[in-house]
Amino acid sequence: MNEIEKKADIIIIGGGVNGCSLAYQLAKKGKKVVLCERNYICSGATGRCGAGIRQQWSTRENTELSIKSIKIFEKLEKELGQDIGLRQGGYLIIVHNNKDMIQAEKNVKMQKELGLDVSILTPDEILDVVSILDIEGMKAIGATFCPTDGHVDPFKTTHAYAKAAERQGAKLYKFTNVTDIKTKNKRIDCVVTNRGKIKTNIVINAAGAWSKQIAEKLNIKLPNKPFRKEILVTERVKPVFKAMVISFKDGIYFSQQDEGQILGGIPIPNEISGYLTNPTFDFLNHMSKTLTRYSPKLKYVNVIRQWTGYYDVTPDARPILGEVDEIKGFIQCNGFSGHGFMLSPMVTKILTDYITDGKSSDILEKLLIKRFKDKEITHETSVVG
Amino acid sequence: MTVENIPNVRTCITPLEEDIKVYEQDRVGEIPDKKFFNKNRKKIDEDVVIVGSGPAGLMAAITAAKQEVPSILLVDENHLFGGQLIKQSHKFFGSEEEKAGTRGIDLAIELMEQVNSFKNIKSMLETTIIGCYNGKNNHKLIAVKRLTKGDQLYEINCKSVIFACGAMENMLAFPGNDLPGVYGAGGVQTLMNVYGVKPGKEVLMIGAGNVGLIVSYQLLQAGVSVNRVVEILPKIGGYNVHAAKLRRCGVPIFTSHSIKEVYGKGKVEGATVVAVNNSFKEIPGTEENVTCDTVCIAVGLTPSIRLLEQIGAKTEYIAEAGGHVAIHDSSMQTTVKGVFVAGDSSGIEEASTAMIEGQLAGISAALLLGYDKEAGKLKKKFRKALDGFRSGPFGLKPKTCKEKIACCWDGGINY
Repeated sequence: MNEIEKKADIIIIGGGVNGCSLAYQLAKKGKKVVLCERNYICSGATGRCGAGIRQQWSTRENTELSIKSIKIFEKLEKELGQDIGLRQGGYLIIVHNNKDMIQAEKNVKMQKELGLDVSILTPDEILDVVSILDIEGMKAIGATFCPTDGHVDPFKTTHAYAKAAERQGAKLYKFTNVTDIKTKNKRIDCVVTNRGKIKTNIVINAAGAWSKQIAEKLNIKLPNKPFRKEILVTERVKPVFKAMVISFKDGIYFSQQDEGQILGGIPIPNEISGYLTNPTFDFLNHMSKTLTRYSPKLKYVNVIRQWTGYYDVTPDARPILGEVDEIKGFIQCNGFSGHGFMLSPMVTKILTDYITDGKSSDILEKLLIKRFKDKEITHETSVVG
Repeated sequence: MTVENIPNVRTCITPLEEDIKVYEQDRVGEIPDKKFFNKNRKKIDEDVVIVGSGPAGLMAAITAAKQEVPSILLVDENHLFGGQLIKQSHKFFGSEEEKAGTRGIDLAIELMEQVNSFKNIKSMLETTIIGCYNGKNNHKLIAVKRLTKGDQLYEINCKSVIFACGAMENMLAFPGNDLPGVYGAGGVQTLMNVYGVKPGKEVLMIGAGNVGLIVSYQLLQAGVSVNRVVEILPKIGGYNVHAAKLRRCGVPIFTSHSIKEVYGKGKVEGATVVAVNNSFKEIPGTEENVTCDTVCIAVGLTPSIRLLEQIGAKTEYIAEAGGHVAIHDSSMQTTVKGVFVAGDSSGIEEASTAMIEGQLAGISAALLLGYDKEAGKLKKKFRKALDGFRSGPFGLKPKTCKEKIACCWDGGINY
């Protein structure tokens, strides 16, 4: 391998979508950026995710972040000069009982206030959106639907960011493992990798499920926990629906790709936190049963592959962003709890503004790590997978 | 292809039936509306399951059976046992112990007779393992058996599993490589030697390793003309004895040459070959068009490790193994307890070494379950035999491969 840089303005740890997007935006602002990825670009959660992008959330911050993120996604192909596989077929969120309907109505009201095109559907209207669903099987009483939600290709997007970052002069080092981070006077001083030492004053921790270990090198304790999440894909069949179907009660999500595969996931009951990578039979069993309950028509479609990835889960299922109080220059961009890909455009913009202009924002203030010291936290309840 | 309203069917391995309805598929088929699984999943319990019935798998089954393991299951996705052996009409090299001088096809029959003579071996053909999962004390394999009336799903629980799933053929990237008439060498062998079908009239062979040379000769024996053999390396990779046989039949071997493209309307009508320099770059102006209706690609193999990966065995990229390969110890056990590997799945080598590795895996799997009859002595004998094969110039590559695997086992790389 070639010699690596000895000095950088900013070092980003992690070559997922957030790391690569940050590398691009910071380099564009004239910063000297180095990104260290211990494996290859997209090798972590980004390259394993369900690829959905949605704006329907229960917390105001997530809704705001995602509305703005999708606006950025819509223009991203033009900005990066490369296709990112954007397809807006909508998200259909199934509601199963009256109690959940009250929450759904509350969510929709708040989302509408923020300017989102979202509506509540009757069972008949659900079938207008996705005809192969079975209302009785799903035990659905209604649904919420936002037509501008959809799907973006995580590989195309991340590689587009990576290439654009390199065009702006950023250095992306693959197979480069950060072994230590050193400080001087409570300020970041340098990063030690298996390929050498790099001087810097700013480190961004975007290492996904391994962010906790990175922070531990500086004696910072993150509340994040890694959870194995499983996902499967079927053979290609004629495309019959465009929306992503999800249910917070059953935890299921599934959609059909343009090419015809049906892709989806569900949490397996009693999953415990830890670094487990094996796919399980329980998941295959549980997912096929639930999926065919939602859509019996899919009964005879073959599953061709299942795989796993990690959710980097925080106690309130919201990301941890911004600088920590203890060490100057140590910036968090993790804890996305399964939504890192869809939130990435806006999250990385907020962090870029903070790093380059010192500009903070309401959202950033609310997502700092110190919120966990408070007694009451606002939990994001709109979570699947 | 869509067969009987079921989309995405591999027609090349689907048996014909009276009045069977086969349709060409336009991109993707309709969602199937016909039932093709039996409703109930069948559950079976076994001591040792062997996935793949090539030389490694057959020997593993026989060896474990000799050790008196009570219940052994041999599974293969094809409609015949023997793996690649059933395509091999040529005689083996090596020592007599490993059946040198025997033809692969005869060896397959001989080993299958042995397998059938053991009451503790059950076997399932046309059965594909579609998933494998490891639990605390056992392993779970999900299998689909193809039946004429609907497929049957099996859930197999076993104490130990030996993956002897062989390898996949490498493909080359060039314009026209998806035209009908472009085959892998294994596909050509299957057509010719298993089904008795000539793949074409005039063949261009890519690759002068042993497979490329042997298949070229078999094509000649079947009455197919071989235009030439093209090899990108500056020298022939296979044994001289095979190359000499071809040359005597008038087939030229072009070293430092490569395939540039295949052309034709709806099927192969010809190919352009080109000379390459020392760094494998094409030399402009040396292009030559070859008229042929078949292009056979014999450019090496990649170990089949998907099931091993799924069950959680550690894998590493090792060039000498032919790609990513499951890391294993000297008794063929992977990093997952009770999961063994043998043959090409553990690094591309030959039938003879696959057979010994199969024996070693069989012994080790039996030993793990407490069947230890002469295990130490036999293990030593098999390891010595493997060392023998891996000495000399042709043994250098597998020797290096296994040395690198041993390094990884010792925790050289840790994720």
